[in-house]
Amino acid sequence: MIAFWILAVILIASAVFTVSAKKPVYSVLGLLVNFVALAATYLILQAEFLAVMQIVVYSGAILILFVFVIALLSSGVRPFSVGPNRAPRIVIPAVVFALVALAAITVTALRVPIAQHAAAVTGTTGEPAAFGSVADFGAALFTTNLLPFEVTAFILMVAVIGVVLIAGDEGPAGTPRRKKRRAGTREPIVKPEPQAR
Amino acid sequence: MLLYLVWLLPLFGAVVLWAFGPQLKSWGGPIGSALIGVAFVATLVLWPDATAQGGLHVTLASWLPGWAFGLQLDRLSLIWSLIITGVGFLIHVYSIGYMDGDRAFARFFAYMNFFVFAMLTLVLSDNVIGLLVGWGLVGLASYFLIGFWFERPSAVSAARKAFVMNVVGDVGIMFAIFLIVAKIGSIGYADLFTRFGAAFTPHELFLVCLGLFIGCAAKSAQIPLHTWLPDAMEGPTPVSALIHAATMVTAGVYLIARFAPVWSASPDAQELVGVIGGLTALAGAILGCAQWDIKRILAYSTMSQIGYMIMGVGIGAYDAGVLHFFTHAFFKAQLFLGSGIVIHALANEQDVRRMGGLRKQLPFAFAAMLVGVLAICGVPGFSGFFSKDAVVYGALASGHPWLYAVGVITAGITAYYMFRLLFVTFFGQYRGEVDPSDLGLRHPELAGTAASSGHHAEEEEPHHHAPSWLMSIPVGILIVPSVLIGWLDYGPNAPWKQFFAGFFPRVPEAANVPLSEIVSTALVFVVVVIGFAVAYWRYGAPAALRESVARLRAETVRMPGVLVNAYYFDAAYEMLLVRPAYALGRLIGTVLDPHVLDAGVREAGWTAQWLGHLFRSFQTGLVRVYALSLALGVACFVVYYALAFGAGR
Amino acid sequence: MTVSPESYVALSAVLFFIGVVGVIARRNPLIMLMSIELLFNAANLTLVTYARAWANNAGHVFAFLVITVAAAEAAIGLAIVMMTFRRSPHVDVDEVAALKG
Repeated sequence: MIAFWILAVILIASAVFTVSAKKPVYSVLGLLVNFVALAATYLILQAEFLAVMQIVVYSGAILILFVFVIALLSSGVRPFSVGPNRAPRIVIPAVVFALVALAAITVTALRVPIAQHAAAVTGTTGEPAAFGSVADFGAALFTTNLLPFEVTAFILMVAVIGVVLIAGDEGPAGTPRRKKRRAGTREPIVKPEPQAR
Repeated sequence: MLLYLVWLLPLFGAVVLWAFGPQLKSWGGPIGSALIGVAFVATLVLWPDATAQGGLHVTLASWLPGWAFGLQLDRLSLIWSLIITGVGFLIHVYSIGYMDGDRAFARFFAYMNFFVFAMLTLVLSDNVIGLLVGWGLVGLASYFLIGFWFERPSAVSAARKAFVMNVVGDVGIMFAIFLIVAKIGSIGYADLFTRFGAAFTPHELFLVCLGLFIGCAAKSAQIPLHTWLPDAMEGPTPVSALIHAATMVTAGVYLIARFAPVWSASPDAQELVGVIGGLTALAGAILGCAQWDIKRILAYSTMSQIGYMIMGVGIGAYDAGVLHFFTHAFFKAQLFLGSGIVIHALANEQDVRRMGGLRKQLPFAFAAMLVGVLAICGVPGFSGFFSKDAVVYGALASGHPWLYAVGVITAGITAYYMFRLLFVTFFGQYRGEVDPSDLGLRHPELAGTAASSGHHAEEEEPHHHAPSWLMSIPVGILIVPSVLIGWLDYGPNAPWKQFFAGFFPRVPEAANVPLSEIVSTALVFVVVVIGFAVAYWRYGAPAALRESVARLRAETVRMPGVLVNAYYFDAAYEMLLVRPAYALGRLIGTVLDPHVLDAGVREAGWTAQWLGHLFRSFQTGLVRVYALSLALGVACFVVYYALAFGAGR
Repeated sequence: MTVSPESYVALSAVLFFIGVVGVIARRNPLIMLMSIELLFNAANLTLVTYARAWANNAGHVFAFLVITVAAAEAAIGLAIVMMTFRRSPHVDVDEVAALKG
C-alpha cells in the first residue's frame, strides 16, 4: 500500500518534470525516471513480463533514440533556439480542459467501484506459470492473440521502411535523394528524329 | 356574320394602321374612316334583324358552364352602335382635315379605330365579362387619345388622371360583376335578368347597383368622379367630340339602360342615381358659366347633359334618357366639330376672350354652332327640345318634384352659358390683337400657348386657314339630325316610343302629377328664354358688344374662386389622395427599400462572410492549437460518458 | 489488491492529462513526442490495472502491443522531426504553420 503511494508521487513528479523541463535532455532524464517507476508499478500489479519489457523497450530503446535525435538536431554547439511564441497563454485553456476531464474521470472512478475477481489470480509473483509470468504471457500471446502479434510485426517492418525512406540517405553535397524535376523541362514522349540523315 | 364584320373591322383597322403607320402616311386617314363607314353600313343592314323579336344573337365561345361569350344586337345596342359607327365615321372624315400635317397622323386613326372597336365590344356583348372588357379597353383608348400629343406634360397628366379615375370606377363595376357571377352563376344578361329576383336580397341588389353606378360615375363624369373630363380636353378636338361627348362618356348611361330590370327592382339605387344625375347637371351648368376655354365650356356642358341622361335612366325613364343620349350625340358632336373649325382657323387659339366677331369670317362655323346651341338649349323644334322635356317631365311624372326643379333650372343656366359662348365668340369685334392684360389675363402666355403648343408647334405666328371641305362636310351633315331627330318622339304614338315599347320596365307613375305635360313644356321654354335674355343683356346687346373688352376684363377679375377651382374637387383629391400616395411612395423608396429589403439581402451576405471569417480564424496553422481542440473534444467525451454512465449501478 | 483499482485509474488519468498539457504547452517537437509517450504509458497503466482486477491476461497482451506500436511511432515521429527541422534555424513547431488560413 505504501509502495503505491511512493510510486505514485514519483510518477507524477517525474511526469511534471518531463513536461516542464527547459532542455530536452532533462526531459529525457525525467522520462527515464518515469518509466522505471512505472515498471515498479507493474511489478506491484503482478505484471512481471511487462515490467521487464517496459524497461528493455521503453527505457532502453526509445529513450536512446530520443537522445540520438537530440544530439543530431543540436549539431554543432548552438543550443536549441526557438522562434516567437505564436500562441502564448495556450496553456490556460489546456489546463482547464485537462482538469475538467480529470475531475470527471476521478469522480466516476471513485463512485463506481470496479468489480474484482481477485480469487482468479493464480499464484504469487515469482512462481512459474503464475498470473503475469513469462509462461503465462507467452501462452496468451502465441495462442489466443497470435494474429495481433503477427500484425504488430508487420507494423514494425513498415515503420522501419518508413524511417529509412523519410530520413534516408542524402545525395552528394546535401542534395535530396530524389531528382527534383524543374518545371518546363519535361521530356518529350516522342523523341524528335535525329537531324543528320 | 355581318355582326362579326361590324365588330372586328375597326380592330383590323387599328392593328393595320398601328403596324404600318409610317408606311401608310396620309393614307391612314381614309383607310380608317372607310372601315368605320363600312361598319356603319353593315349596322344599318342589320337593322331588321336587330329589331326582330329577341334581337340578333351570335355566340363566340362557350367556356365553363354558364360562361358563354357572345354578341347581341338588340334595340338598345343598335341605337348605340349606329351612333358609334355613324357619328364615328363623320368624325373620322373630319379628322382627316383637322389632323392634316400632324406627325403621327396614322397613329391617330389607329387609336380612333381601336376606340370604336372597344366601344362596340362594350355595347355588343351579351355578357358582363364582355362588358367589362369593353369598359376597360375604352378607358385605355381614352388614355391613348387624350395623351395623343404626349410631348405636352399637361396632356400626359390629363390622360393619367382620366385613366386613374376610370380605374376607380372599374373597381366598383368589377365588384358588382363579381357579386353577379357569384350569385347567379352565369355571365349572360339573359340569365341575370331571369334569375336576379330570386338570387339577390334587396340589400345585395343595392350593392350591385352601387358598384355599377360607381363605374358609371367614373366613365360618365358624374360627381364625384367628374374632374377628369375638363382636363381631357387636352386631346385633339375630334377626340373630344367622339369620346368625350358622343360615346365613351355615355357608356354609363348604356350600362344603366342595359341593366334596367335590375335597377327598377332597387328603388334606393334609383333614388341615388337620380339625385347624383341631377346634382351633376346643375353643378356642371354652373361651372360652364365660369369657363373661358371654348372646349372646357363644352366639356362642362357635356357633364351637365349627361347628368340629365343619368337622371333620366336613373329614375326609370329609360327611353327618355336614351333619347337624350341620341340627340345629344348629334348636337354635341356638331358643337365640338364646329369649335374645332374655329380653333383650327385661329391656329389653336382656344380662349374665347381672344375671339369675337368671327361671324363674318367663319360663317359656316357660326351657322353650325348656332344650330347646336339652339338644340342644346331645348328651343322648340330642335332635337334637344324633345329629349330634354321628356327627361324632365319623366322626373315629375315619376314623383320626383325636386329633380324636376333642378332640371328646369339647369335648362335655364344651360341657355345662359351656351348663348354666352355664342355671343362672345361670334359677335362684336375681333379681340385677337387686343393686349391680353386688357382682357384681365394675368399671364398672357397661358392664354394662347397652352393650346397652341400642339401639333403646329413649328409655326410661330398665327395664320388663318379656311376650313377644308373634309372638315365642313361632316359638320354640315350633322346639322340635319341636330334639328330633326327629336321629332322622332313627337306625340303619344311617337316612333321612338314604339321602338322601345316593352323593352324597358315600366316607370312607376306618381300619384298626382302637379303639372301637365303642356304646362311643363311651357315652363321650360320660359326659363330658357330667361336664360337667353340674361346672356343677351350681358354679352350680345349692342352696348355690351361695344364695351366687350372692359366687361370681359371685369368678369375675369371678379370670378369667384369656388368656380375657378371647380368647387375645389381637384384640390381635395390632391390633399386626400395624391399627396399621401406620393408620401407613401417616397417612404418606401427612401426607407423601406434601402433599409429593410436591401438590408435583408445585404445582411444575409454579410452573415455568410462573417461566418467564413470566423471559421477561418480557427485555421491558425499551429499544431498546438489543433492539439488543444483535440483535447477539448476528448474532455467533452469524457465528461459525457462520466455523466451518462457514471451514475452508479 | 490492497489498493483498489480506482486509485490506479485515477493515477493513470493524472499522468494522461499531464501528458496532454505537455503536448499543447511545449513548442519543442521532441518534448511533444515525449509527452505523447507519457500518454501511452498512462493508458498502459490502466490496461494492466484492469488485467489484474479481472484476472485477464488480455490486458497484458494489449499493453505489450501498445509498447510495440509506441516504439514504431516514436521512430517514425523522430524521423519526421529530423527531416523537418534539419535545416531550419529554429526547432519550434510554431514555425511549421504552412496550413495557416
